[in-house]
Amino acid sequence: MLGIKNIASYLPEKKVSNYAKKEKFDLDDDFIENKIGVKSQCVKEDDEKASDLCIKSFENLIKKMNIDKDTIDCCIVVTQNPDFNIPHTSAIVHGKLELSQECACFDISLGCSGYIYGLSNIISFMQSNGLKNGLLFTADPYSEIIDHDDKNTDLIFGDGSTVTYISENPLYTAKDFSFGTNGKAYKEILCDDKLYMNGRAVFNFTATTIPKHIQKLLVKNDLEDSNIDKYILHQGSKYIVDTIRKRLKVNESKVPFDMYEYGNTVSSAVPIILEKELQYNYKRLLLSAYGIGLSWGSTILEKN
Amino acid sequence: MEATVENIKEVIVEAEVLGNVDEMSSSQALSEQGIDSLDIVNVFLLLEEKFGITIPDEDLSQVQSIDAIVEYINNK
Repeated sequence: MLGIKNIASYLPEKKVSNYAKKEKFDLDDDFIENKIGVKSQCVKEDDEKASDLCIKSFENLIKKMNIDKDTIDCCIVVTQNPDFNIPHTSAIVHGKLELSQECACFDISLGCSGYIYGLSNIISFMQSNGLKNGLLFTADPYSEIIDHDDKNTDLIFGDGSTVTYISENPLYTAKDFSFGTNGKAYKEILCDDKLYMNGRAVFNFTATTIPKHIQKLLVKNDLEDSNIDKYILHQGSKYIVDTIRKRLKVNESKVPFDMYEYGNTVSSAVPIILEKELQYNYKRLLLSAYGIGLSWGSTILEKN
Repeated sequence: MEATVENIKEVIVEAEVLGNVDEMSSSQALSEQGIDSLDIVNVFLLLEEKFGITIPDEDLSQVQSIDAIVEYINNK
């Protein structure tokens, strides 16, 4: 059975403080800390690309465990800010890591929901094709597309990356997945040149769609809140995470909020928290991510 | 359902955006009474759900105070 064997992440050392933007955007500390939930954002170096962020998370992975790179037979990168339009960033990562030529590589173009889709894709693709050892990367360097005069986006996003090692005898396996899309609302988060986000539309979407979607997944699997040890929710903003939690009527202690010091890292937000939660040996976790598309996905992970 | 100052205040309580709504002015803008831009969005969503209405972005200037919200909903 394939599942999550380990996770590593990378957050750039360079940071930008939201407190320095208080005057520019007429903010107070309460808004920064309790509404946005981002005190500072991690920002990559100008010459770093998505693939470079992926390599750094892989370097952190091999500090945790021995991985024979020659055994990696699948490499997927989730990003909407690839190194280039052509080729796919996973090929660049493949080359930089000097992986075997008998390794399948492809990208998944999704934003905030990307980790859930990526997890389902890599597990099912590997199972279908008899593959044994896979790397699922997430890296979406939003610092490249932020309009620094736009309060709706400039306070939220940070750069980062993760890699999830998929193999046999894992720590966690996926019990079930559920996905959804509202393509009619695609313009609510859009990047032509710079990122645009309709904050009200995104809030309404997450507050109304996601709690029902999560509850439906629980019911489908004959589970209830008491069966879930932690809910790892996409870190859109503190306000969004708090709103979903309240609407789910879930205790605050079961819903980690973690992005104060690095920001919303898009598809990396869920795996950055999951990496930290792996050490606690929880029996069952629910992961849910939502945003650009509008797209959403959730999964239930069970301890192997 | 008919909107009143009282049930709009109940929505504001439900939104958990202010500790005490008793002292709120119904004629003053919500934004001038400690309800920030994110809280207002939450209040609008609850109003939409409670009264079964849609408040399009272009109408937001018409719903800035409790009195204005009451009038807006009752004229929908």
